[in-house]
Amino acid sequence: MRIKFNAKFISAIVVGVILAFVINKNWGGATFLSTKNLSTFLVVGIALGGIYAITAGGLVVTYATTGIFNFAHAAIGCFLAFVYWQLSVKYHIPTLLAMAITLLVIAPAIGFLLDKVLMRRLRDASLVVQLMATVGLMLTFMGITLTVWSPKTGRTLEHFYEQSKGVQLGSVVATWHRIITVIIALLVAVALRWLLYRTRLGISMRAVVDSRSLAGLTGAKPSIISGSSWALGCMTAGLAGILIAPETGLVVENLALIIIVAAAAAAIAQLKSIPMAFVGGLIIGLATSFSSTFLQFGTDWSYAREAIPCVILFIALLFLPQARLETGKVRLTKRTERLTKPWEAGLGGLTMVLIVGAWANGWIPWFSGTNWGERSTVWLGRGAGFLVFGLIMLSLIPLIGWAGQVSFANYAIAGIGAVLFSHFGGQDGNPIGIVFVVLVCAPLGLAIALPALRLKGLYLALATMAFAEFTDKVLVRHPSMLDPSSSGVLYKPLRILGITISTDAADRKAFLMFLIVTFALLFFMLELLRRSRWARRWIAISDSPAAAATIGINLTTSKMAVFMLSGAMAGFAGCMLGLQTGALRVDSFPMFAGLPIVLLLAVQGVRYPVAAFMGALGLASFPAISEVFGNPSWLTQLALIGPGIGAIAMAYRPEGAVFYSGRDLAGLLPWRNDAREEKALLIAKERAENIEKDEINGMGLSRPFTEDKVAQLDRVLSITDAVDETKMVNTGGHS
Amino acid sequence: MTTILETQDVVVRFGVLQAVSKASIKVETGQVTGLIGPNGAGKTTCFNVITGLQEATSGKVMFDGKDITSKSPFKRARMGISRTFQKLEVFGSLSARENILVAAEQRRAWDKSGFDPKAVCDEILESTGLTSVSEFMVGTLPTGTARLVELARALASNPKVLLLDEPSSGLNEEETEEMARLLRRLVAQGLAVLLVEHDMSFVMGTCEYIHVLDFGSIIATGTPLEIQANPHVQAAYLGAETVEEAS
Repeated sequence: MRIKFNAKFISAIVVGVILAFVINKNWGGATFLSTKNLSTFLVVGIALGGIYAITAGGLVVTYATTGIFNFAHAAIGCFLAFVYWQLSVKYHIPTLLAMAITLLVIAPAIGFLLDKVLMRRLRDASLVVQLMATVGLMLTFMGITLTVWSPKTGRTLEHFYEQSKGVQLGSVVATWHRIITVIIALLVAVALRWLLYRTRLGISMRAVVDSRSLAGLTGAKPSIISGSSWALGCMTAGLAGILIAPETGLVVENLALIIIVAAAAAAIAQLKSIPMAFVGGLIIGLATSFSSTFLQFGTDWSYAREAIPCVILFIALLFLPQARLETGKVRLTKRTERLTKPWEAGLGGLTMVLIVGAWANGWIPWFSGTNWGERSTVWLGRGAGFLVFGLIMLSLIPLIGWAGQVSFANYAIAGIGAVLFSHFGGQDGNPIGIVFVVLVCAPLGLAIALPALRLKGLYLALATMAFAEFTDKVLVRHPSMLDPSSSGVLYKPLRILGITISTDAADRKAFLMFLIVTFALLFFMLELLRRSRWARRWIAISDSPAAAATIGINLTTSKMAVFMLSGAMAGFAGCMLGLQTGALRVDSFPMFAGLPIVLLLAVQGVRYPVAAFMGALGLASFPAISEVFGNPSWLTQLALIGPGIGAIAMAYRPEGAVFYSGRDLAGLLPWRNDAREEKALLIAKERAENIEKDEINGMGLSRPFTEDKVAQLDRVLSITDAVDETKMVNTGGHS
Repeated sequence: MTTILETQDVVVRFGVLQAVSKASIKVETGQVTGLIGPNGAGKTTCFNVITGLQEATSGKVMFDGKDITSKSPFKRARMGISRTFQKLEVFGSLSARENILVAAEQRRAWDKSGFDPKAVCDEILESTGLTSVSEFMVGTLPTGTARLVELARALASNPKVLLLDEPSSGLNEEETEEMARLLRRLVAQGLAVLLVEHDMSFVMGTCEYIHVLDFGSIIATGTPLEIQANPHVQAAYLGAETVEEAS
């Protein structure tokens, strides 16, 4: 107990010192104890905090009642803010009526629909699937909003009573919008409290948190409860979106990013306390307001203010209590598969090289007017880009697929790798720089995970997403990071083993071939790694942390190892990313750009290295599809909506496409007798199960018993001879 | 016969609920010790305290003469405490062989005798009768077989004490007998076994010594015969009225 206290104590001091340093360094010179400054700080902070509190409160209510953390919370709010704009500004519907339609009709409808088609299926899914599906939902909502309301047209949502002056508070004017915001926040807080403690529905909702099955026994209808909870979540998200849009601008990215704010407040609330979620929202609002009133970040750090929620999230994680090793939560999937043999992996890698080689030489038919034997340099460049993303996907396989540690930070790590490489080695065309970057990115990958290692998996996902955002807003925005130095060239062509790697049109094919060969080698290495004790250990800690600990596995060091491996691989991908893009801008690595990479990999099957190749092909398919249709405006967001919908579909097909197609197609390989037998058994088993569901009803009454059906029934009821039974059970486990 | 594992006045409190109060249990090498009691008596919580998954509010856990109360679970495992779980805690996406192999390989972290994990794994597969299913993913195995995999995995770390949480649940009669034979063979080799079990004939037939837990307190200890004759135990299992009649 003492040690834990001390660790927290030290964290508190370190955080305090760093904060004091940052504040002191960037103090804008305003007097803190002036009534004007203080009241500006409080008025702005409380109003902003009120909005954050509403959205965080809603997020915590849905998480607490359904067990699903909704990454799409803010994106749904964003969509609803646009709907409100459409109604009130475009259709000139009066404010109150437009709000009522948006929040009392459309928002609950979305909530109930989500509950029915998606969330109920996610309830018992693994954390990885839950995270992927809700992040997919976030990208889908963003994509839909961007498609319907093209970002090329500017839109503004006015503050409430924009013309009126507001109320004089001391020397500060509190606008009516802010006053209304604070009042609404208070009302929402009271209403949530009343709903959860004073109404039948609310009491059932709280009961569900404690025990879903028991709550069902007391007569509460689980479907109505979870539906209401999602409706409530959507309503709070929409309300927050409408209130904040006048402040941030009606811009999809800005509004969807509020998920980081909500997540930080939810972390302060330990994902369960609604009052603490409100407090958390208020803290973030006040901190943001404090920085805008008193701090003057230099132009080099001009975006640092936007990273405040990320920093607060990190700090909150430091002070969360350690997660217990829970038992009784093991999810056994009926998944049959066998390990890939080394020669099969080699053959697989070779096939990848051959496919990409044939494509690069124009021996595979493709879109957009290239002739046989030719491949346009545009597509060669794109191909290299997809393979670089494929490399990032490969880096995620041991981390997410095996160790079950969901990270959204690897694209950011690759971004940092690209920047580092431009400083060390890239500008001189020195391949040693790659080694350096890999060596730096390995501990970096670990450092990101460190605050969340002792916490449950969801917090890690939140921390990595916050880190990705922090990277975009702070780390790779600083001019000294992106300074193209005197020459203005970030990356000189690299010569490795007689191959020139650069983005010059003439070198693109060689670069592409270099990438696919490295990709295939890393693929092969991962397949070998899967057969090693390291992968076994990582899978063990993912499948059952408690059991892994009780056979002597040190969970912390095992996780650290996998984060370092993943970081190193992402760093290498980053060097290639730098070489492939050739130029870096301040906004080269937005957090949202990294998400489709993770999702597409998950859709393909995050356990299997080959999924990274399929994922890269998936990425290639989006511009290809768009080109086939003549690049229409409704397909501009395909790269968001495609992975998004794919990830949502994981609620129905959780294991990933590689698994299902592998199960169905492996039998086509001449040496896979086992797969053919497996499939035959599976079909027999399914048939036997189906008879139970569909065919017993009415049999012998409205339909005659046939000999065939009787035999099937016997098998279902296990009244059959021993030979058949061992076949049906498929294991022979009773020997 | 020496005491290898001992809990001294262990208390576990969840809020106001006292799940375990002043429980003292002794486990001797070379014999099967039983820990029985009605549902919710705190048996699994005791197991969790011994293996470090649950922090004790107060009290001590002694192992091999050392105080291990504040040691983390993996360190206790490395000292020689191994366990199975009431609800299956297998590594479902690894094959049966890999489940056992990962434990055998882990043993190299503390056991420097230079053994070959693969050989150990094969040996255990053979002795538990799992060889024929070794390549199947454990998630696809029937519960009884998966339970055996869990036991085999616990054995692979070559423990001094083995804690089994309801080993016979999910097993048929024949498998239960096989399990009892296996346990007797293991204790004959010098292992200490602590057993939580509901199947009374299994407990009475296998255990040399029994602790009875009720509402978190040890209400009786003794040989199977003594336990069967104990009026408090009968009351705990059959209801309070019996004790009045009996006393």
